[in-house]
Amino acid sequence: MRAQLPRRVLLSLVLRLLFLKPVVTGSCSGDDQELLRQLQHQVDFMKDSSRLLDPYMHIQGLDVPGLKEHCQERPGVFPRENALHELSRRGFLQTLNAKLGHVLHRLTILQQNLPKVQDFGTVKRYIYGIRNNIYCLAQLLPGSSETAEPTQAGTEDSPPPPPASDTFQSKLQGCQFLRGYHRFMHSVGRVFHKWRESPSRSRSRRHSPHRALRKGAHRMQPSMRGKRLMPRGQLSQ
Amino acid sequence: MALLAVVHAAFLLALLSFRTYQSEVLSEPLPLTPESLEVSINSTQQCLYLQWRVHNLTNHQELKMVFQIEISRIETSNVIWVENYSTPVTWNQVLHWSWESKLPLECVTHFVRIRSRVDDASIPELRSWSNWSSWEEVDAQKSLGQDPLVVFPINKLVEEGSNVTICYVSRSPESNISCAMEGVPIHGERLSPNVFAFILNNVRFIRETGTNIYCVSPSNMSGTILFVSKVLEEPKDFSCETQDLKSLNCTWDPGHDTTLQYQPSQRYTLFESFSGKTKLCEHKKWCHWQVAPDSQETYNLTLIAENQLRRRSVSIFFNLTHRVHPMKPFNVFLKNISATNATMTWKVHPVGNYSTLLCQVALHGEGKVIQHNVSVKVKGQYFLSELEPVTEYVTRVRCAASNHFWKWSEWTGQTFTTLEAAPSVAPDVWRNVKTVLGSHIVTLFWRPLSKSHAHGKILFYNVVIENLDNPSSVKLLSIPAPANGTELTLDQCSYQIHVTANNSVGTSPASIIVISRDPGNKNVEEGRIQGTEDGFSLSWKPQSGDVIGYVVDWSPQDPRCQLQWKNLGPNTTSTVIRSDAFRPGIRYNFRIYEISTERIAYLLERKTGYSQELAPSENPQVAVSNLTSHSFTLSWKDYSTDSQPGFIQGYHVYLKPKVEQCHPGFEKVALSDDSVCCQYKIDNPEQKTFVVENLQPESFYEFLVTPYTSVGEGPHDTFTKVTIPDEYSHVLMRIILPMSFCLVLLMVLCYLTSQWMKDKCYPDIPDPYKSSVLSLIKYKENHHPTIMNVNDCVPDAIEVVNKLEGSRIQFLGARKSLTEMEFTKPAYLYLLPTENYSGPGPCICFENFTYNQAASDSGSCGHVPVPLKTPPSQLALLTSPENLLKSLEQNYVNSSGESPAGENSLNYVSQLASPMSGDKESLPTNPPGPALCSEYRTQMAVSLGHASPSPSENSSLSLVTLLDQGEHRR
Repeated sequence: MRAQLPRRVLLSLVLRLLFLKPVVTGSCSGDDQELLRQLQHQVDFMKDSSRLLDPYMHIQGLDVPGLKEHCQERPGVFPRENALHELSRRGFLQTLNAKLGHVLHRLTILQQNLPKVQDFGTVKRYIYGIRNNIYCLAQLLPGSSETAEPTQAGTEDSPPPPPASDTFQSKLQGCQFLRGYHRFMHSVGRVFHKWRESPSRSRSRRHSPHRALRKGAHRMQPSMRGKRLMPRGQLSQ
Repeated sequence: MALLAVVHAAFLLALLSFRTYQSEVLSEPLPLTPESLEVSINSTQQCLYLQWRVHNLTNHQELKMVFQIEISRIETSNVIWVENYSTPVTWNQVLHWSWESKLPLECVTHFVRIRSRVDDASIPELRSWSNWSSWEEVDAQKSLGQDPLVVFPINKLVEEGSNVTICYVSRSPESNISCAMEGVPIHGERLSPNVFAFILNNVRFIRETGTNIYCVSPSNMSGTILFVSKVLEEPKDFSCETQDLKSLNCTWDPGHDTTLQYQPSQRYTLFESFSGKTKLCEHKKWCHWQVAPDSQETYNLTLIAENQLRRRSVSIFFNLTHRVHPMKPFNVFLKNISATNATMTWKVHPVGNYSTLLCQVALHGEGKVIQHNVSVKVKGQYFLSELEPVTEYVTRVRCAASNHFWKWSEWTGQTFTTLEAAPSVAPDVWRNVKTVLGSHIVTLFWRPLSKSHAHGKILFYNVVIENLDNPSSVKLLSIPAPANGTELTLDQCSYQIHVTANNSVGTSPASIIVISRDPGNKNVEEGRIQGTEDGFSLSWKPQSGDVIGYVVDWSPQDPRCQLQWKNLGPNTTSTVIRSDAFRPGIRYNFRIYEISTERIAYLLERKTGYSQELAPSENPQVAVSNLTSHSFTLSWKDYSTDSQPGFIQGYHVYLKPKVEQCHPGFEKVALSDDSVCCQYKIDNPEQKTFVVENLQPESFYEFLVTPYTSVGEGPHDTFTKVTIPDEYSHVLMRIILPMSFCLVLLMVLCYLTSQWMKDKCYPDIPDPYKSSVLSLIKYKENHHPTIMNVNDCVPDAIEVVNKLEGSRIQFLGARKSLTEMEFTKPAYLYLLPTENYSGPGPCICFENFTYNQAASDSGSCGHVPVPLKTPPSQLALLTSPENLLKSLEQNYVNSSGESPAGENSLNYVSQLASPMSGDKESLPTNPPGPALCSEYRTQMAVSLGHASPSPSENSSLSLVTLLDQGEHRR
C-alpha cells in the first residue's frame, strides 16, 4: 500500500485538474459538526427499510411467510458494527465510502431489472450526497496520526457475488443485500452519533485544513453525477 | 463366325454371372440401423435432442424410413414415451428429433433408444424393424452442483393457464421437506427417494417478477421462479392510413401486455406481401410504413405479434388512396367581421396529387351549431352570415378526402365575436301613477333588453316627456344603465313618454306610454283570487273594443318589492301569471289595465290573493279591559288582517274555565296538548273585540285569541291569565282608597301646621351647657383640675354655628358609611392664626358637633386642606397646651402607636370627639347624656405610614380610614 501512495497522489492531482475539483474549491463546509449532523440525518434516512427493502420484497413477492424469513443479511457483505467502532475515523470513512460504492453498483443493477421501482433512484441520489459529505468530512480530519490507515473492516468485506443464473437466488440475494445495507447504515449512524458526542478529535482539524487536505482528502473524492473519482483500490478492501 | 460365337458365349456367361451376383445381393439386404445416436438436453426448453445417422445407404439413395424412439424414465423398463418418426433419409444424413418433457429433465434420469425400418414399398425386404440401439442414459443431475436441495425447472416460462410440473431433488433423503407456491403449500408425489414432483395446474399470472416456488428443509432452502405470461392476444383494430400518400401509419390494440421481468417483451412486425418487405415495429401500438416511391396502390399488410410462447398475426388489404386521413387544416383566420357577417379562410395540407378535399365548417354560437361543406384544394373560404351582433362564435373546420371518404381530419378552430349593433327592440316599459297634491307621481319601470335585442352593452336610457297639451314642452332625461326605472312628477296635463335604450352604436325603437289627465285609477273594487301551483289565473271583461292590448301588473304586499307586469294582446281576456318569485304566504295585488289606442292605460280590475295561503304565524296582542266580577273585554284592534299569510276569516277565542262546562256560545274543543278548552268562533275578521261574560267572581281564567285562515289557525302558544275579582272589590277600590288618601292628606296638613305654630310661638333656645367643650373640661378636671384657656388655642376668631342636638346621634349612627358619604359643609370652630401668617396654609379647626348641622353627614373635617408637612410653628401650636396634648395622646395612642418613631412625613387628620365616659362601644346606640353635648375636634400629627396609602391621595379619605381604625380599637 505504501508503494501505491505516490501513484495515488498523482492520480488524485490529475483528477482534480480534470474536474476542477468543484467541492474542494469551495462547496465543502468547514463545520465538522454540521457535516456530522447532515451525515447523521442522511444515514438515519437510509437505515429505514421502507426506503428500499420493503418495496423490493413486495415487488418481488418475497414478503410472504416462508420467504421473508430467509431474507437475512449475508455475513461478510457489510462490516459489523463493532468492527466499525474499532476503525479510526479516517478508516471508517474510507470503509463507508467504499461500501457505498458497492451499494451504488448493486442498486444500478437492481434498477435495471426493476425499472418501475422509483426508490432506487432516490436512494442513489442520497448516497451521492452521503459520499460528498464523507469527502468533506475527511478533509477536516486531523492528518497527523490517522493518515492512510488500512481499512480493517475491509478484511471481512467481499465484493458482491455475481448475479446468479437462478433468478430465485438472485431475488434472495438482492433481498439479503438490501437488508444488510439497512443494517449497515444503522451501524454507521451509531458511529456518527458517537462522533457527535465526542467531537474533540475532529474539531482540532479546523486549524489546519490544508494539511488534512493534503494527507487525507485525496483518498476520497465526492460523487459527481454518479461518477466515482476515488481510487477504488485504496478504499475497497 | 466362330469368333462371333465365342464372344456371344462369353457375354452370356458374364451376364449369367452378373445376374447370379445380383440375385445374391438382393436376397440378403444389409440392415439400415440407426447409429451414432447422441442425446443432449436443453434445460431452458426442457427438451431432449436426438441426432443419429443411418449407414449402409448407397450414394444418392433416398429412402423413406420410420424411426421408433423409446424414452424411459428412472429405469429402462419404465418406458414413458414411444414415437414413430417418419422421414426420408439420404446417404450420410444426420437425423434430428426432439422431445419436450413435462417433468423437468433434471429431476430424474432418462433413457433413450431407437430403431428403424424402411417405409418404401419398392423394398419390401427392409420393411421390418431393425434392432434397437443401445439405451442412451441422460442424467442432467450430473452436470449440476452439489447443492443439497434444488428445485427444477429453473426460471420456467409458461403461459397463463398452463399445467406445470416441478420437482425438487435432495442430495440426502430428507423427509421433512415442504414446498410452497407464493406462501401456499403444495403437495406432490415421490418419484424416487430423493425426488418429489409437483403438478401445478392452470397457473395464473401474479406479477411481472414471476411466481415464487420454493422448498424448505430444516437445513436448506431452494426455489425457482415460474414466469407466467399472459396469453398473447391477436392485435385488434389493426388499421393503416396515410396523411400524405408518402407513409402509412398503422395502429392496433395490442391487448394484454405479456412483458415479464428478465424475459423478452412481445414484439410486432409488419409484413407486406406484394413487396415482400418487413419492418420490426418499435412500439407496441403503432408503426410507420414507408410507402414505396413506385406508387404502389394496393397493400396487403400483415401484423405479426409474437413472444417466446406464441405468435399471432392479422392482415388487411387496402388501396392506399382509400385510406387518406388528411392532416387538420391550418391558418384559420376570420376577416371582415361585422355585426352579422364574417369571412373564414383556411389552408389544407396537400395530399399528393389527390388534392381535392371536402371540408366541413361548423359554427358554434348561441347554443346552436351550423355546419356547411366546402370543396377545397389548397385554400378554403366560407362566408358566415346571419350572425348575431356582439356574440362570441367558435368556428371550426375539418377536411376529408372527397372521392373516397375515409376519416375526417381533426378540427381546427378560431373564436371571434361579432360587432355591436343598435338595439333592435323598444324596451318594455310600464308605469305606476299616484296622485299626490294634484300632481301625478309617475314611476316608470323598464326591463333590461335581452342580449339578443340589446346588441351590445346598453349605456343609458333616454326618457322624452312630451306635454300633449303643450307640444312645445319636451323634456329629455338620460338615465345611465343599469337603472331599470325612474320617477317623474307631472302636473295635471297629459303627457306622452318615449323611452329608448342606447348602446355605443345607436338607439332602440321607442316605447311609448301616455299619462292622461285622469290617471285612470278609479275606484275599482278589489276582488280576491286564489293562486295555484301554476300561478294566478286572471280573466277580465273588456270594456271598450278599441284597445291595443292589456297589461297585468302585480306586486307583493310588501311595498319594497318592485312592480312586475305582463303585456297581453288586444284579444286576450285571460291569462295565467306565473313567476318563480311567488312565495307561499305572501299576498300579491294584481291590476288589469287595458291600453287604448292612444296608449293610455285604464284600470279594469283589481285582484288580490295568495299563491298558497298559510295559517297565521302569530296571534294578536290582546288587551284585557272592563274587568268586572262577571266579565271582561278582550280587544286586539291593532291587529292587521292584510299583512297575514292568508285571508283572515275570523278568530277563535279559547277560554280555559275552572269548571268543565263552557259558557254559552263556546264549544268544548280539545287542543293539541290533549287539554280541553272552550272555543268561541268569531266569523268576522273585522271584529276585534270580544266580551267574555258570565264569569264567576274570584275565579281564575286563561284565554287565547288566535286568527284563522282557510288553512288553519294561529299557534296555540301562551294563554293569558285573568283573575276575576269578587263582587265588592270594586266598591272598595272606589270608596276606601279615596277616603284613605284624604285622611293622609289631612294628617300631613295638621303636622305642618303644628310645626309652623311651634316655630312661631315656641322657638328652641340654644343651651351652651350642652357644648362638648365643657364636657372635655369636665373630663380633665377629674384628673388634673384645670381651666381651659382659650388663649392656649391661639385663635383670634371663633365662629359658632347653630345646630340641633339630635345631629350628634345621627352622626354616630351613620358612621359605618363614612367612606361612602359625600362630605358636605360641616360646622367648625376655626382657629385662625393671628400673626405672621399670610399664606393659604393650613388651619386648625375645632369642630363642635353640637352646633354642626353637617356633622352627621360628613363626620369629619377631613376636607380641610392639610399639607403633608406641617411647619414647626404650627406643630408647636398644636402641642403647646400640654394638658390638651396629653389628653389627645391618651385618646389616639392606638391610632398612632403603630407608626414608627422618626417618620419624616406627617399628616394632620382631624379627630373625632373623645367619648365622655363609660363604655365607648355603646356610643353609636347610646347617645350621650344631655350634660355632655359639647366637644372639640382637634387635629393631631400622625405618621404618613398609617395616615394614607400615598401622599397624593385625598387627605379626607386618609382621615376616614384612620378614624375607622381607631374606632375598632376602642
